[in-house]
Amino acid sequence: MTRVLYNIKLYFSFLLASLKEILIYRVDCIVGVVSQIISQLVEIIFIWIAFQNTENLAGWNFKQVFLLYGITLIAIGIADFCFDALYYLGPKYIKQGEFDKIMLRPVHPLLSIIGSSRAFTAIGYLGLGFIITVTMFIELNIPITIFLILKILFFSIIGALIIGAINTICSITSFWTYRSNEFIWSFFKMYTFAQYPIDIYNKFIKILITVILPFAFVSYYPTMDYLGINTYMTYLSPIIAIILWIVAVKLWNFALKKYRSTGN
Amino acid sequence: MIKSMIALAKMQFSQYNIYKSNFYLFTLNRIVEVIVYIFVWQAIYNQTGELAGGFSINQMITYYILSVTISPLVHWGINEDIAYSIRNGQINKELLNPISYFKYYFGINLGEMGFALVVGFATFIICSIFWSVVFPSSLGRFMMFIVVILLGIPITFFLQMIVGITGFYTNSIWGMKILRKAVISIFAGMIAPITLFPNWFQKLANILPFKELIYTPINIWLGQVPINDIYFIIIKQVIWAIILYSIAKIFFNHAVKKVTINGG
Repeated sequence: MTRVLYNIKLYFSFLLASLKEILIYRVDCIVGVVSQIISQLVEIIFIWIAFQNTENLAGWNFKQVFLLYGITLIAIGIADFCFDALYYLGPKYIKQGEFDKIMLRPVHPLLSIIGSSRAFTAIGYLGLGFIITVTMFIELNIPITIFLILKILFFSIIGALIIGAINTICSITSFWTYRSNEFIWSFFKMYTFAQYPIDIYNKFIKILITVILPFAFVSYYPTMDYLGINTYMTYLSPIIAIILWIVAVKLWNFALKKYRSTGN
Repeated sequence: MIKSMIALAKMQFSQYNIYKSNFYLFTLNRIVEVIVYIFVWQAIYNQTGELAGGFSINQMITYYILSVTISPLVHWGINEDIAYSIRNGQINKELLNPISYFKYYFGINLGEMGFALVVGFATFIICSIFWSVVFPSSLGRFMMFIVVILLGIPITFFLQMIVGITGFYTNSIWGMKILRKAVISIFAGMIAPITLFPNWFQKLANILPFKELIYTPINIWLGQVPINDIYFIIIKQVIWAIILYSIAKIFFNHAVKKVTINGG
């Protein structure tokens, strides 16, 4: 337990360093944020067009679906900011032999990698998600209480942890293929399934996003809770996050033992 | 000249082929993208039982399957390669090649398109197993579909050139790349058939060259475009190819004059 706490403390010092880096690369940061928001336009336009043709989607109206979308963006933003470096594990760290240096540090390599994340662009997701969420709460006449804010913050961080654990598990492939980015991206992209009420999907996809890759717990069940539709499923998400992380760390340690340097 | 361009294309194609996993992951990526669209539209059609934008449900599903099938041809390309060669100083050598800069990259672009075609074809085959796809009513329509898509390749190539050349001024084309992708996705009808957009948007899309990349070929396939329109479509594509070529050429000549090579 003390080791876990020590690692968490260490992680925050990594985080602080990345935050300082944002201040250095100010122009890159602004360009990244703006382009991230533009890329989200595609999703927003699709939701808008879908609701030009229907009143509700599996019982969810326009505002509720947009709230779900906003909440998802917040979780994705946090995840992107904290776990971005996993994408570079294959191409940058392992292929170019930088991973050997990291192995020599007195820190767990996984923490070293995750700690070096600095996706400024995530601020675009966070900002946009925040604006959409607040607007939709007002539109839906749901009072924004301090309790609700804390709840959103808590479940968004849990959601980001779920995504992070899934990305970590996917990143293991780079120990063999030296290229993790496409593999992580392919599975990460499935979060978009949970951007819509999952009742629209067939059984296979429902099982996929609740059991196999539990993206539904990132934002779908929490949003149901905020809307007062279903208030108990969301409390499973912290448990799922913990289980996923135990699995992820165990698998990572196993892969680490098998790791053979590319020699550089 | 054409011989060396084909040699370059083959080289680029085999570079992708080294990693077989690329092929599977890119195909998976395409399918993940189409799933959300299809299930959302199925939910809408089940709810309302009306035609959206003049499409039946099977036509709509076919629309999205074809859209993700063609989209690698539209989105992939060489802008990152150009920016990379500028950052690296490789452009020094490339400018001295006995083959002109544009032709050199057009060859490489063709290799990329070859791989995009393979991925697109696999995506289409897999999707047609899961969903019922509408096929074109005649061979003539299918040929027209192919012709319009092939004429789109120079258009996307010149767009990629323009985005890549901005690397001369900014060092990082990350923002421009996302902007290009978003603009094409929206105006080409990748998100939704253009008939579902507001009137002013449709008028704008009629002028811009992007509609012919995705929306028009798919509508030829589905039989929504009268055969006689084909001449008009081809003329529009040729005119736009000439316009974009001139812009790229002027832009390139201006950039090369004030090129500052980053060592290398």
